Amino acid sequence: MFTMIPKKRELKMRNAILRGIYEDNLRIIGKHSNALSDKAPSFLKKMFLFFFIVLLAVLGHWNYQNLSLFSEFPEKQITASLITQEPSSLGTELQQLPAEKSVSPSDYKAFLSGPDIPLSRVFGLEVKTIMIDPGHGGSDSGTAGKMGTKEKDIALDIAKRLRERLKKYGNYNVLMTHEQDSTLPLNKRVELARLGRADLFISLHLNYLPSKPINIIETYYFGPSSDAKTLKLAERENIGSQYGLSDFKEIIMKIGDKLKLQESKELASSIQKVLFLNSKKHNGNVYNSGIKRAPFVVLLGVDVPAVLVEVSCLSNREEEIELNTESHRENIARYLQAGILDYLNKGEKSYEAKRHTTAR
Amino acid sequence: MKQKDTQQQDSILFAGIDLGTSRSSISASNLTREWIESYVGWPKDFISLQVVGKPVLFGSEALKNRLSLDLCRPLEHGVIKEGIEKSEDAVKEIIKHLIELAKPSPEQKIHAVVGVPADTLKVNKLAIRKAASEFAHSLMVVSEPFAVAYGMNLLNNALVIDIGAGTTDFCIMHGTIPSEEDQKTILTAGDYIDEQLYSYLTEKYPNSRFNKNMVRQFKEKYSFVRDVSGEIHVEIPVDGKPVIHDIKNEIKRACESILPAIIETTTEMIARFDPEFQIKIKNNIVLAGGCSLIRGIGEYLQNALKEYGPCNVTHVENPLFAGSDGALKLALDMPVKYWEPL
Ligand SMILES: Nc1ncnc2c1ncn2[C@@H]1O[C@H](COP(=O)(O)OP(=O)(O)O)[C@@H](O)[C@H]1O
Ligand SMILES: [Mg+2]
Ligand SMILES: [Zn+2]
Repeated sequence: MFTMIPKKRELKMRNAILRGIYEDNLRIIGKHSNALSDKAPSFLKKMFLFFFIVLLAVLGHWNYQNLSLFSEFPEKQITASLITQEPSSLGTELQQLPAEKSVSPSDYKAFLSGPDIPLSRVFGLEVKTIMIDPGHGGSDSGTAGKMGTKEKDIALDIAKRLRERLKKYGNYNVLMTHEQDSTLPLNKRVELARLGRADLFISLHLNYLPSKPINIIETYYFGPSSDAKTLKLAERENIGSQYGLSDFKEIIMKIGDKLKLQESKELASSIQKVLFLNSKKHNGNVYNSGIKRAPFVVLLGVDVPAVLVEVSCLSNREEEIELNTESHRENIARYLQAGILDYLNKGEKSYEAKRHTTAR
Repeated sequence: MKQKDTQQQDSILFAGIDLGTSRSSISASNLTREWIESYVGWPKDFISLQVVGKPVLFGSEALKNRLSLDLCRPLEHGVIKEGIEKSEDAVKEIIKHLIELAKPSPEQKIHAVVGVPADTLKVNKLAIRKAASEFAHSLMVVSEPFAVAYGMNLLNNALVIDIGAGTTDFCIMHGTIPSEEDQKTILTAGDYIDEQLYSYLTEKYPNSRFNKNMVRQFKEKYSFVRDVSGEIHVEIPVDGKPVIHDIKNEIKRACESILPAIIETTTEMIARFDPEFQIKIKNNIVLAGGCSLIRGIGEYLQNALKEYGPCNVTHVENPLFAGSDGALKLALDMPVKYWEPL
């Protein structure tokens, strides 16, 4: 049977597909189809214009993170304020971290206040297993750039490169929370880190700053924060967590675990330093946001030193283009690796000697 | 294939390119069809350059001279390969070489459609476009299983499973350009079979010397799943003397080792659709890629997937060119106005 109607339908389907391919490729090179926008009804355009102006006006008055978007997540807001509330008790205790003052008996003092040797090494704890956590995945894409580059894809790609590099370096067992772009709730990631007996946990993400055309690099370790911007980011990264409020409270209580905290901080600064200094060589427009404490669920649940790195920024157009090149992603992996190794080998003479002679 | 008017045919060469993890091919509107192994090698130093006599080598020639070369298989795991900054150059060389093999006449413009593994596409679109743009006047990049589907006119109600070397790529067609959810790439494919077979054989015959290349040849010659009649014996030197080895069971186990992941992914991908559409897709599953040549693989999958209702699995006629032929068909069907801005 061969009737006109299915044939016509097939033709239409085929044309739609061909057009789709064309538009997809236009997007890749950052152009937009004129034909497409011509088709948008004019009232839609006007509406868009209207909202755009309103948005500009709003942004003119407030910082974007103060937008009332927050109130859409009442539970999270409570969480956030819970964490920021008590600078008196928990906060200060956490800030006065230096372990040599609060934990160690005086006998150890000389030992601990010596050169910056990671505490874990002092106690003979060796890092054997490194768990890399590519942010987001599957149906959770994270943020996306204007050309359609997705946070989850870049994070996964960089994570794989980092894994290969660390593996090649030799001494470590390197695991990933997921490698095939799968949807994975945050508590599952935490569980994987536990099951894999990870000694270090590194979560990779990409930033998005709607209001500023810059690239920004920052590294987080777990802890309470009172900074609104940080909390906003934490909220975004915590979506998909299945922890309840009570879990939060309990785990925060448990963070008397200073070893983890100090180590995480050291790891964070080591990564941030190498990543920023090197990224700056490529993109003069990159800002060092430094290391920060933030209540990210992935960092919270893990018992070992854990950091979350926002390795780059997808809202920055040049950066998005760069992130689409293999060499840039490889470079980021390289800097991350260097940051991690610097932390792990701090104080080790042979490593430091090598570090100074080989340009990495 | 649709005929373009002759004037256009003369001034433009349309080309479909399949960038595979192990083999890459080109099909062009001047009816050439060529393929190479996706290896690129550059002489390691000046002496090597003297030995091989060329600045860059491809495919089997590159493999043969591997000792003198920096060898790169740029898409090994479906993503532009990790760790080697050269791989972008390697992709470039492969595309350049394939286009040369198609022998365009000097005044012809080239309009090319390039198919790549679905996962590669996610983060390397721009890189692939950059690599190809020097050699084509206008260019589109698509996912490889989609090109296969398009080439076979499977625009609706179909699932293409392309089982290659480094990756198995899935693509569900439902009348539109497939979205990200409609496509999936997993890493269990031909290379994985090779690894399994290698370890099974070295375990069974610890005194015999196997190598990866040899094992791949065994696979390509004898591959099967389920059952085949007859023995599978090969001759391998042990202490310098050729000895007969029975490898039938190992071949079967290795070939079957990729199937659970393929079945699982298929069921997962189909499950997202309503039952009526599920039935339609399951009756139109098409296998492509080199590993679709494994004897009995279609029947195996058909049986395994039958558990949840009827199912029909077929395979493409020519796995070596199904991708590039599909890409060529896309290139020929693409309206002229779409080529210009690209
Ligand atoms: N007859 C065969 N039986 C089993 N596997 C085969 C056969 N012929 C080729 N292959 C395998 O198919 C794979 C190559 O398939 P191909 O579709 O060209 O891959 P890709 O597109 O990833 O480059 C290789 O692993 C090769 O060994
Ligand atoms: Mg292929
Ligand atoms: Zn993120």
